[in-house]
Amino acid sequence: MSMFFRRLLLLLPWRRRAIDQDMRDELRSLADMAEPGELGNLTLAAEDARAQLGWVPLEQTAQDLRYAVRTLVRAPGFTLAAVLSLAIGIGANTALFSLIDAVMWKQLPIDDPEHLLTLEQRTATGAAGGFTYPQYEIFRDSRSGLDLAAYGYARVDVSIDGVDEPAADAHLVTGRYFPLLGLHAAAGRLLDESDDRAVMGHPVTVLSYPYWQRRFGGDRSVIGRTMTITGQSFTIVGVAPPEFFGVEVGVSPSLYLPVMMQPALLPANGSLLQNPNVLSTWLQLIGRLQPGATVPQAQARLDSLAGTAAEWRVRDKFTRQFADVRLVIASAAAGLSDLRRQFSRPLFVLLGVAGLVLLIACANVGHLLVARAATRRSEFALRLALGASRARVMRQVLVEGLVLALSGAAAGALLAYWAAPALVAYASAGQEPVILNLSPDVRVLGFTAVVAIAAGLLFGSAPAIRAARADRSTGVRLELGTGGRARGDRGPGRLLVVAQVALSTVLLVGAGQFARTLQNLYRHENSVDIDRVIAVKLQPRGSGRRTAASAPSFDRTYRELLTRVDTLPGVASASLARSSPLGPSTLGFLITPPAGGGPVKLASTIVYPRYFATVGIPIVKGRDFGGDDLRAGAPRVVLVNEAFVREVLKGSEPLGTGHGVTVAPLGVRFQSQGAADVPEPLNIIGVVKDSRFPGLRESPPPMVYQTFLQANTGSGQMVLHVRASGDVTAIVRSLSDLVRAIDRDAPLPSVHTLADEVNAALVRERLVATLAGIFGLVAIALIAVGLYGLMAFTVSRRTSEIGIRVALGATRSSVRWLIARHALGIVAAGLAIGIPAAWIAGRLTSRQLASLLYDVTSTDPAMMVVSAAVLLVVAACASLLPVQRAVRIDPVMALRRE
Amino acid sequence: MEPLYGVLDMLVLRSLLFGPLHGYAIAKSLRDGSVDVINIEFGSLYPALKRLELKGWIASKWETSAHKRRAKVYRLTPAGRKKLNSERSEWAGFVSAVARIMNPSSE
Repeated sequence: MSMFFRRLLLLLPWRRRAIDQDMRDELRSLADMAEPGELGNLTLAAEDARAQLGWVPLEQTAQDLRYAVRTLVRAPGFTLAAVLSLAIGIGANTALFSLIDAVMWKQLPIDDPEHLLTLEQRTATGAAGGFTYPQYEIFRDSRSGLDLAAYGYARVDVSIDGVDEPAADAHLVTGRYFPLLGLHAAAGRLLDESDDRAVMGHPVTVLSYPYWQRRFGGDRSVIGRTMTITGQSFTIVGVAPPEFFGVEVGVSPSLYLPVMMQPALLPANGSLLQNPNVLSTWLQLIGRLQPGATVPQAQARLDSLAGTAAEWRVRDKFTRQFADVRLVIASAAAGLSDLRRQFSRPLFVLLGVAGLVLLIACANVGHLLVARAATRRSEFALRLALGASRARVMRQVLVEGLVLALSGAAAGALLAYWAAPALVAYASAGQEPVILNLSPDVRVLGFTAVVAIAAGLLFGSAPAIRAARADRSTGVRLELGTGGRARGDRGPGRLLVVAQVALSTVLLVGAGQFARTLQNLYRHENSVDIDRVIAVKLQPRGSGRRTAASAPSFDRTYRELLTRVDTLPGVASASLARSSPLGPSTLGFLITPPAGGGPVKLASTIVYPRYFATVGIPIVKGRDFGGDDLRAGAPRVVLVNEAFVREVLKGSEPLGTGHGVTVAPLGVRFQSQGAADVPEPLNIIGVVKDSRFPGLRESPPPMVYQTFLQANTGSGQMVLHVRASGDVTAIVRSLSDLVRAIDRDAPLPSVHTLADEVNAALVRERLVATLAGIFGLVAIALIAVGLYGLMAFTVSRRTSEIGIRVALGATRSSVRWLIARHALGIVAAGLAIGIPAAWIAGRLTSRQLASLLYDVTSTDPAMMVVSAAVLLVVAACASLLPVQRAVRIDPVMALRRE
Repeated sequence: MEPLYGVLDMLVLRSLLFGPLHGYAIAKSLRDGSVDVINIEFGSLYPALKRLELKGWIASKWETSAHKRRAKVYRLTPAGRKKLNSERSEWAGFVSAVARIMNPSSE
């Protein structure tokens, strides 16, 4: 056993006590043997022996700790203020860091996560996509050296014992999924290759552990029971392990089902296994290398499949060209995550802002400590005079700082423990719940500890240096006498507040930009009454595959639904569209401009009559679609938006066909009206305003609105839009009932308003703006406290000076100005540093922030003016009380006190 | 005269070469052996004992003597014996080097 460990063992208090006792016994026995006085000073010998055992620094530290705790407890106001400031600063950082940790770094709770891979198709623009089932089959059978599994997402209706349950999230998985992840069932068995043989042949399900606990109370007898999922009976065969939440971060399916059961579980799409739809890239691929294989080999093998008989790339529907996509093999050790893409940048930005808050809090605590140190100068001077070394006095002050920092960190960790899930809940409001593993791990704890210790050293160092500088000889006399009025001790306190003001300027400018971004995004023209427009996604059975034969029946269903919805009380108007106004337009429309040249692909969507009135887009010219336009075989007519008139027609008369634009012939089947191979003039019957909905960053592109039957699309799904004349909640119930009637087997329709959709679309911006705003308020509060403390301290120290001035005839206003000037000077100095700093910070981060800002630049001068004004107002408020106190100083009293 | 740094350790180890001793006995043996040339205070000896024990060169045990007196007795450990040997040869080298410098003609 090495010396180090032996010393370490001696640190155990009971061992130390035992050895101490042993030494006392031994020395007594020796003293008995020797002549009196022969052995010299035995107490000193024991003391030196103890030093040999390495205890002295430890005992001194323990003393420092005890002393620090005692002095802190004796000043509860100070301690509370300091610990609270730190708790907010450290808590904010820890909460954000644990979110970043959960989203970015935590590895999946599976076997050998480092070697889990994911396969993605990436387009030239970097957008990642999933795969169709046949693509998966091609890769699986390609002998690329990759062991592959796939899963897809479905939201399914569940009923147990004939009673409807809330709809559940499910992952449809291939047979290799669980074996590949190396998981073992918590009960029963998991799905495997034997559940992956015949289409519709495996009505079995595995429950997730949380669902099993929540719904069945962890009852093992549920294995073997059946439950009805989307109208089909499934047998429960097992439960997934407790820590497993799927391979996607933030998503936690309740059920795992065999991919072979897809036709029953996603009925809207038909069988994607046998009749794949090129647009339905519904599967995500995960895999591991087989022994001896390497990633480059596998990549090369998969790449070589492009252009062969086993071609996996999708052809563009219009151009017949192969889609320009690449296969990318990436590590999936930390799981797959959409969240990561969406939130990693905002989270890091917020962590930076939280870091500023912590610095401001540190400055505050440092300032409080300096003020305290000033009143304790005599104590330090006395200790130095009595022979304490400067290092010892410094250490004691530093230990005090560390005790504060660690208490702050403990409180902050508690705060974070509460705040992190609250942030997640806020970020996922109105959407699918985001489930994150937020349990603190080594990284989070280490981060908190490092932050706390750094903070403690940071704010503890200034007072520590000052304490050690306390003058040993003159100090005692002076300080004991007059209670501290040495000239130099204004410096660090004032500098700290200047630093605080500077940091807050940077923070406020940043927070202001995020708030403005959010405001700008909400303030689009079409923001009127969007909380009264309900959107319901419709997916009748078979609508995932629209054919020339099935289109008229969907059309009939939809028109009947509209008639019924119109009769509901409380409905102002109702219509259908291919997607909600915020949703992406996946439909294209080919035109040939009159000047000739190749066909141009424009964005398009399908709408039913009165759509524009329902969502609030005004028709500026011409007319809306009418009943006649919906007839089968009606002449093709379209509406366009103003962007179309501006960019495609260059401002010429849009209505009719006089503009010369033609509908380009399609190289592919035209489902509803047979082949349209001859160029047909584009008959425009109306022009609508560009739809600018809140939350959309880009200005709207040229857009063509078509009727359902005239559109060329393989999908029959539509979104019902209903404008309520009054309260939305009143009609939601009857609306769902009507929608349910279209298709009993479809999952419960999700009913939400456009306002919900906007909020969901702006969740990133709201999260950033709200948190930055909260941090800004915290910073302001910290500054107010810091400045107030400094001014109060200044006034109390200059009491006699002010007394003399008043006695010599100074007016109230001149006294007021004397103190106010001091406060203003500090703020002005802070701003003089802070505004250039904010500008530089804005320049340096402009690239990182660009995606988070809208209509605001990161160096917006207006924002700097506003921030400066806010800080000046805060400074004025904070110095109000001290100024009042200065004005009320009675010269006689002040001089007598001296 | 205080012994050179490190020499005290060697002397203590040496005093235990022929059998276990308690602290007072060690002090006495050092004093007797040096014939008062080297003055080792008990105040230096005792911490040295603790240091050597911590290093594992000596070990201690409470024993009751013939006079029914309880005393803590120290003995050399094998590691201590090895240490003593190396110290001894180092010391011999040191002494002869010093001697050569002091009496260059005696060769």
